[in-house]
Amino acid sequence: MRDSIVVFINGQRHEVRGPAALLTLSDYLRRQCGLVGTKIVCSEGDCGACTVLVGRPTADGQSLDYQPIDSCIRFMFQLDGTHVVSVEGIAEPGSLNAVQQAMVDCHGSQCGFCTPGFVMTMTGMLQNGGVGDEAAWKHGLTGNLCRCTGYTQILEAGAEAARQSSLTLNERYPAAELLAAISALAGDDVAIAGELADGEHAVTAPATLAAALEFLGEHPDATVAAGATDIGVRVNKTGVLPYRLLDVNRIAELDFVSVDDGVLHCGARASWAAIEEATTEIAPEFHRILNRFGGPQIRAAGTIAGNIANGSPIADSLPFLFVMQAEVETTSAAGTRTIPIDQFYLGYKQLALEPGELITGVQIPLPTAADQLRLYKISRRRDLDISTFTAGIRLRVDAGEITLARVALGGVGPTVVRASAAEAVLVGAPLEEATFRAAGDAAAREVAPISDVRGAAEYRRQLVRNIFVKYFLETAASATAGAL
Amino acid sequence: MSSAGKSLPHDSAVGHVTGRALYLDDERPMLGELHVGFVGSPIAAGTLEAIDATEALALPGVVGCWTAADVPGHNLFGLISVDEPFLPAERVDYVGQPVAVIAAETPEALAAARRLVRVDCTEMPPVLDLDTAIREARFLTPQRRIARGDAGRELAKAPQRLSGVFRSGGQEQFYLESQAAIAYPGEEGRMVVHSSTQNTTEIQGVVAEMLGRGQHEVVAICKRMGGAFGGKETQASLPALMAALVAHHTGRPARVIYNKDDDMCVTGKRHEYVTRWDVGFEDDGRLLAIRFEFFSNGGAFTDLSPPVLDRTLLHADNCYYLPHVELLGRVCYTNVPPNTAFRGFGGPQAMAAMENVLESIAQHLDVDALDIRQRNLYGVGERNVTPYGQVVERNHLPEIFTQLAESCDYRRRREEIAAANAASRLTVRGLAITGVKFGISFTATFLNQGNALVNVYMDGTVQVSTGGTEMGQGLNTKIQQLVAEELGVDPRRVRLMPTSTEKNNNTSPTAASASTDINGAAAVKACREIKERLAAFAAGELAKQTGESGLQPRDVCFADDAVFSTHRPEHKIDFGGLCMAARRSRVDLGARGFFATPGIGFDQAAGQGTPFFYYTQGAAAVEVQVDRFTGELTVPRADLLIDIGRPINLGIDRGQVIGGFIQGLGWATAECLLYGERGELLSHSPTTYKIPAATDVPPVFNVALFDNDDNVQNIRRSKAVGEPPLMLGIAAWAAVKDALAQVDSAASRSFTLPATGEEILRCLSLAPQTAPQPSAAMPDG
Repeated sequence: MRDSIVVFINGQRHEVRGPAALLTLSDYLRRQCGLVGTKIVCSEGDCGACTVLVGRPTADGQSLDYQPIDSCIRFMFQLDGTHVVSVEGIAEPGSLNAVQQAMVDCHGSQCGFCTPGFVMTMTGMLQNGGVGDEAAWKHGLTGNLCRCTGYTQILEAGAEAARQSSLTLNERYPAAELLAAISALAGDDVAIAGELADGEHAVTAPATLAAALEFLGEHPDATVAAGATDIGVRVNKTGVLPYRLLDVNRIAELDFVSVDDGVLHCGARASWAAIEEATTEIAPEFHRILNRFGGPQIRAAGTIAGNIANGSPIADSLPFLFVMQAEVETTSAAGTRTIPIDQFYLGYKQLALEPGELITGVQIPLPTAADQLRLYKISRRRDLDISTFTAGIRLRVDAGEITLARVALGGVGPTVVRASAAEAVLVGAPLEEATFRAAGDAAAREVAPISDVRGAAEYRRQLVRNIFVKYFLETAASATAGAL
Repeated sequence: MSSAGKSLPHDSAVGHVTGRALYLDDERPMLGELHVGFVGSPIAAGTLEAIDATEALALPGVVGCWTAADVPGHNLFGLISVDEPFLPAERVDYVGQPVAVIAAETPEALAAARRLVRVDCTEMPPVLDLDTAIREARFLTPQRRIARGDAGRELAKAPQRLSGVFRSGGQEQFYLESQAAIAYPGEEGRMVVHSSTQNTTEIQGVVAEMLGRGQHEVVAICKRMGGAFGGKETQASLPALMAALVAHHTGRPARVIYNKDDDMCVTGKRHEYVTRWDVGFEDDGRLLAIRFEFFSNGGAFTDLSPPVLDRTLLHADNCYYLPHVELLGRVCYTNVPPNTAFRGFGGPQAMAAMENVLESIAQHLDVDALDIRQRNLYGVGERNVTPYGQVVERNHLPEIFTQLAESCDYRRRREEIAAANAASRLTVRGLAITGVKFGISFTATFLNQGNALVNVYMDGTVQVSTGGTEMGQGLNTKIQQLVAEELGVDPRRVRLMPTSTEKNNNTSPTAASASTDINGAAAVKACREIKERLAAFAAGELAKQTGESGLQPRDVCFADDAVFSTHRPEHKIDFGGLCMAARRSRVDLGARGFFATPGIGFDQAAGQGTPFFYYTQGAAAVEVQVDRFTGELTVPRADLLIDIGRPINLGIDRGQVIGGFIQGLGWATAECLLYGERGELLSHSPTTYKIPAATDVPPVFNVALFDNDDNVQNIRRSKAVGEPPLMLGIAAWAAVKDALAQVDSAASRSFTLPATGEEILRCLSLAPQTAPQPSAAMPDG
């Protein structure tokens, strides 16, 4: 059992224990290392000013894969066996990398406060290749906000940097040495203890699922941390870190995405970035929604089990899971069971989890050619925004008649809900506009939205009413039918 | 070699991209430095009964807690009206209003202590919305009025008449670096305050007053800001006062860094407006008479609301000639933080109101809105006098509108959009061209002054200090270029220094888009003084070296890092060598330049005068697409054409144009401030307050400069660029109104700003086809 984590920062080994291991990465960088290039704005993963790159061994074990994350909502204890690169570490001392030079030349910075975050995300994008046109740059930068530039000159800098060659991080920090050091860490269980102002805090970060379940059996009150994108925000905004945490980041067996017999199997800590990549071809409609799920930094950190366990009625993944009748796999010392997703939520943020149970996986049947599936995410801003309203509508139609209807609505009640009254209207009804008008009216009657900062109740109810005809026009009918 | 006119990178660009450019919270803490924060009022209106910090002070690492009783000097501030307490003793006026200041050894102890201070209040009914304030006549200022002709009479006899109420929302500046200050106590009660401020002189003044000291005992410094946009013109004061108060009481350096949520909750924003309008016009849409009555939400204290309202009245005409006009304005009191400067400074609210009128006229007459606008543009040589009596000289609006309509293919796209709208049941598109004519100068005439200190060193390098502050807009870089050009040296020899009241006294805020004009002109004047001395000295030196007789100072040329005689340009003295020799000959190599903008003046009481040095003009064509079922808005294309004269730095100015436009697009289409029932801000972080993201930039985005060399009165024939492009974003709102009108006139009539998805869907639901039941009643638009 180790009482410290080992993290490499800009190539240097840091062994971190005690209260320092409970700090956010951004605080550690700024206050312990004096690396103040990483900026803090929102402390909630919604602006990207604190973006750094975190390197982990690739699947083939030959190099490190560097992904952008928001360091303000990443805790040190989550980073055992990783290589963190901050803005101070991306280029040889005294020189600029291609992104930095292009940002200088293209007037990509004005006030400069968001700039290190942009430089990091852009450097990560170039590392990982595949940056094509301006739209790709925009998409990759949805996790970074800039108030000065209007982005255009940053996008121009991206295009310019892509034309230049630059040292990759695997060249700047030769992988062999890092990989050897990281692999030596993989087998240990880690237990961190640190005294903060409000008392002693403990984090257990086991290397195996068995050890995790044993721990959770003994401490069913422990808070489970995977991506911690939500816990991090709570800690930053309330100042209160849970006293006992189970960190699952080191458990390799929970990190997988595979497809078997038309079912998508996700390990509990499969990141949204991994699922987004895996679903490009096999579930393009879901992939389209995942594209707008948080920003790249959030998708690189956040996990599928985290999104499910957080239990938000506006969780972006849930409408798809609901309409595809996904199952949540939970495990405890007593064994494994599966829970249909529409039975997983008992109320607002109340889960059908027994004490000592851990979400270990999710199985999602994939849509087939017979399914007409549309997913909707309505938010104030298209990207990097929490939804006001979400919906999933999946129908099967035979000879002009609807034979199966699954409708899930989010943001209109304390949990994501199946719109059973609307489903009842749809099933057996002819595939025509009037059917969908009636379904919309039925759905609007069966939901109980509230007014909040993301939208008024009446607005949400109107969205519920409208989404069915929109679905009809988008899928079944020609969208250019003429008369209104 | 000419350095002005080149697109040099921002002078801190390398620091920005490497993270080496330091902002206040990046400075290494000094030994014993304290972390300082505040405790805010729990209520929006009422009286303070007790502040109990006992529990907080018992925490390890908590050093002290101070309230109104601990303020040694003045505790009441305000530039226009002295009505805002630093720390209130009795009355509280908004949720979060700082009532106590706490210092601790660590950020963690500070955060814990802030939660433990008990503030007991007696609550009174707050005024939480503009309509209530208007109804109850809760005004912060007397009515302002600008008028010409007889609007009442002409409205009554106009062949066509429309009226309504137009609403525009507030906007958070959302600078990325929150409000920040560090105070370093000096000897004998002196104080040095580093502040993220647009206004070092203001910081110096308020800190001196609060401490009860002379201004000569306080130095205020600002090296750079991580954005400001007006939000740090007056409102950097409170954190600076907090830091100074703690430094005064403890003798230790004290650092205040607001977190984002606190910053958004307790600082002022762009004013929300309600505007009553009444317009009379010819059958062809030509304006005959108009009356606007503006009500701005000033919040709890006066702050800059009066000059913001002045600028509203002065921009109600926008680009259009108003024969008979009456403009009225009031600032309303409500229990929210005092609203303040934000890029545009009252201009956007006025221009949006005017563009709403023109769009309404076009829809009423069923005439293309571009035709209506072009018929009403200020003329050249006629129809060119503003309601306040200033002649619109060198007016390029007619050319700008014509040129933009052609370059963006307006007429053809109009037809294409109409056809697409008829064919699509899912989406509806709209298109609009709106213009901007923004007056450059502070409307408070006395502020149109600046000074600059230029120090030339023995090696021929130069330090320049001005009262202008750097917030990302590139002021330092432009002045670096102006100075380098004037002295004929490479800009790398010129370094702009942090703004400090020690070097530049009695400065104006970096605001009103005019900072390059004013501070750049002052710096150039200082350079000319030094050059004059150097030229006299160089004439002698060159004559000695070449034997050229009768060489006059005016024959000495400064260029290419050297001086030479115009008669023998091949013989040069290196600029550094010249400076060294000059110093040895006791020639003064430093100078202070002073510039006061000539020929401007405004009689506020009469509402008449020439408040502006010149106008920056432009226009934007924006196309939008709306989802008929969800109200979701996308902006597929924008074309901008703007006259910014001869740019000193095209790369920087282009950044101002694009950044300003996108910020305006945010105000016009997306950004939404929401308050709870008790007056607390609900949208207080980027999770809930949505500024434009990269994917909100229009996929087709053409930005062009109107070729213009006639702004002869301003420095190097340039034009101010900071604020004007923001108002080009109004075109997006007008385009949505156009799209709504293509669905149904009922959908467009009550449309307010911003054009959020929620607002658009509300309007769409008013159209007969898609409105099974009416939603909550809203006032007429």
